[in-house]
Amino acid sequence: MSIRRRIVTVVAAFAAFAIAVMIWAPTVGSTPISLARAFDRSIPWDDNVDAQIFFVARLPRVLAGGLVGATLAAAGVVLQALLRNPLATPFTLGVSAGASLGAMLAVTMRLEMTVLGITSIPLASFAGSLVATAIVYALASSQRRGLSTNVLLLAGVTLNAFFSALILFVQYLADFAEALRAIRWMMGGLDVASYFPIIAALPFVLISFVAFAMMTRTLNLLSVGTEAAAARGVEIVRAQRLAFMSASLATGAAVSLGGPIGFIGIIVPHLVRLIVGSDHRIVLPASALFGAAFLVLCDLAARTLMSPIEIPVGVVTALIGGPFFLWLLVKRS
Amino acid sequence: MNTKSGRKITKSTKYTKYKKGFFVGFVYFVSFVVSFVSAQQPKRIISLVPNVTEILFAIGAGPQVVAVSTYDVEPPEVRSLPTVGALIDPDTERIISLRPDLVVTYGSQADLQAQLTRASIPFFDYRHGGLDHIMVTMRALGARTGHVDQAEKVARGLQAGIDAVKNRVAGKPRPRTLLVFGREPGSLRNIYASAGRGFLHDMLVVAGGEDVLNDIDKESAQVSTEMILARKPDVILELNSASRLNEADLKAVVDPWMTLSSVPAVRNRRVIILNGPGLTVPGPRVLDGIDKMAKALHP
Amino acid sequence: MCALLWADNVSFRYAAGAPLVVDGVTVRLTDGALAGILGPNGSGKTTLLRLLSGTRRPTSGRVLLGERPLDQLSRREAARQIAVVPQETELAFEYRAIEIVLMGRHPHLGVFTVEGPDDIRIAQEALAATGTSHVAERMFHELSGGEKQRVVIAAALAQIGHGNSSSVPAVPSVPSVALLDEPTASLDLGYQLEISSLLLRLNQEQGVTMAISTHDLNLAASICRELILMRDGRVLAAGPTADVLTPDNVRRLYDVEADVQINSETGHMTVVPVRLAAPKRIREGGRILK
Repeated sequence: MSIRRRIVTVVAAFAAFAIAVMIWAPTVGSTPISLARAFDRSIPWDDNVDAQIFFVARLPRVLAGGLVGATLAAAGVVLQALLRNPLATPFTLGVSAGASLGAMLAVTMRLEMTVLGITSIPLASFAGSLVATAIVYALASSQRRGLSTNVLLLAGVTLNAFFSALILFVQYLADFAEALRAIRWMMGGLDVASYFPIIAALPFVLISFVAFAMMTRTLNLLSVGTEAAAARGVEIVRAQRLAFMSASLATGAAVSLGGPIGFIGIIVPHLVRLIVGSDHRIVLPASALFGAAFLVLCDLAARTLMSPIEIPVGVVTALIGGPFFLWLLVKRS
Repeated sequence: MNTKSGRKITKSTKYTKYKKGFFVGFVYFVSFVVSFVSAQQPKRIISLVPNVTEILFAIGAGPQVVAVSTYDVEPPEVRSLPTVGALIDPDTERIISLRPDLVVTYGSQADLQAQLTRASIPFFDYRHGGLDHIMVTMRALGARTGHVDQAEKVARGLQAGIDAVKNRVAGKPRPRTLLVFGREPGSLRNIYASAGRGFLHDMLVVAGGEDVLNDIDKESAQVSTEMILARKPDVILELNSASRLNEADLKAVVDPWMTLSSVPAVRNRRVIILNGPGLTVPGPRVLDGIDKMAKALHP
Repeated sequence: MCALLWADNVSFRYAAGAPLVVDGVTVRLTDGALAGILGPNGSGKTTLLRLLSGTRRPTSGRVLLGERPLDQLSRREAARQIAVVPQETELAFEYRAIEIVLMGRHPHLGVFTVEGPDDIRIAQEALAATGTSHVAERMFHELSGGEKQRVVIAAALAQIGHGNSSSVPAVPSVPSVALLDEPTASLDLGYQLEISSLLLRLNQEQGVTMAISTHDLNLAASICRELILMRDGRVLAAGPTADVLTPDNVRRLYDVEADVQINSETGHMTVVPVRLAAPKRIREGGRILK
């Protein structure tokens, strides 16, 4: 089978899975609904509870889950290739710490502004992620020779620590209710109840995905070593810069939409590589699709397992992620 | 030799002994009484719990309060008092340096209580409870601070007020109510509501409402939009801490709820914002909050 | 004879104010040459290779590929003609051998292009040329040291378009160079022999122009027809192997007294170290301090 055919076939298989999950997920939940009623246009909207549950409560949630899952998984793949480390996550370089600090400040300072339909917390967290990205980039390119991945890693880890300290500080200054709200935000949540936040995040995600699509083969080469990649014709600095910027932008948008949901960016790429190998031309799209399905399924579990109480989706991904890593560790040794 | 002076001397020595003994005994008695009384009448009270501060002032112990928590704002007298931290960050050094003879602490502040004990400073251990607990606390503080009568009066008055509301709404159908006390501004995310238990739930019940999340039986629960749509509350009461909300603000706060148009509360325009600081403080002002709730549920 | 790759008086420092790592070096590689760049660690060999491949720009001097200065070519254009076999290949993820070889085709492909049947054929031919067809589908990290190195050489061959048959049709035979950085440094004796005979064969039978940097005198002696001796960033001597590999030059290069002979079995020159030479500066002073 030619390479092109293989790529298309595998990605199509993952796409089918993802689409199936996204179609199925809104039809199930803690409340039984009648799909027939939900799609019955003769019933006035204001009277159609089933329709409202489907189209207001569940569908935006599933779409948000798909978008965030796809984005975090893809960003994870890119960062792992950039840093040549399968343990890298979209949060390694401080983007999510910046987003969390932004959200934290919005909660504590009681910001209540809405810009173009986006409320203050997503706005502030996106701003925070951009600030963190800019700082890390500035630190890492302060060396004359472009972007050094070592310095990138160091800068990112340092920024994570620094921003986390700031977050704790702000939390300490906040009153009880605010601190609780901020902590709750950091556990992740996809119950957007509106299509606005999804549409708002979409442009940034699309831009990043276009960049990702352009660099899949380059990621293969980068992951073998920068010198080797340069010798094979890769413009190293440009490639690294593009990878870092697009992955950070994507992560910032995803975290602003759903909070810092962990483990997607590392479980999904790992699982996908186990299935399809390491060629990023397959791993990247397959991870995005699998990530979408995975997060939607996690959210489904979060909203049905302990009904009527909901588990924060970040807790579900962590509960799955932790044992998964233990298993990986045991398998490797 | 029995001289006149000798006898006189012997007599006065005995008298002096008795006088001395009597004097010493008197001193002991007085100091016992004084310490007993001052234990009942603390002169320097520090309160870390804002609603307890309000209770202290209501029962007449206001003048004895010398310092409050960082979050205290009522009654106005406390705003000029020094502050000593709050639940998470009590400033123990400052507290001790103010030489209190009674400190009101949260039940969970075990460290602080241990330090106070080491410094021989008595403390009052406060824990949140239901609506009834307010009256219990009033009476307990009355006894502790030497304002038993006043405390009794205030507690009875509060109970009477609560009973009056109960009577007013008795017999009327109880609307299924979602009592919301937190959500992300401008959206329907991270909604927290009363879920069948606790002091806010008690207020709701007194005001004539039925908690739509009764079965969850927790003080608060995070509610998803699906749950709200499924449970179809008749009334949505949202607590807002802003002291004043004009027309535009009110509309902005209510607006996000409009998405859930199949919910009876939304359809019948019974999404009501109860605003004002201190509406839900478990203290003397709680009647105000209950009144507002009752008016909203049974206009 | 026109040089295929010409480093013309190049110097290089890694950062402003840092010492020159390569200092006024001139290297001319003609078509079909098999040159060895010999010197101790730190003599600037790796940096020189980087300058020759174009992944670094010289601080002064220039590098020409054929007639064109290297800095006028894009990385991709240069990479189509100059391949580098690095000293070590450490993979962050698990790739199959054929995938590694196909990575060599990168400079020939557009952004969204996928390797076509020609690219796959070239890769397979490259594997065949290095005798590793049988490991094509195996995971790279599971291969032996010698197999790994051969696969990486195959990748270089695929990159410059060499296979058993001629390169991609419709593209005229493009002059191409393979630069190898310490190709046998981490290998056992058996694999060393394997690789050196492979390199020789590729050069002689397929005309692959090569420059090999190494500190292994005997490897250089056994396959390189010409040598460039480097020490402290400068060229000590350059020319045909028989002329350059003298005990005198070995002493100047390594501070070692050595016996240089032609081995009767192989017909190659061999260098056998005998003893440490006295350091130059002391001898120059006229008095022996030790």
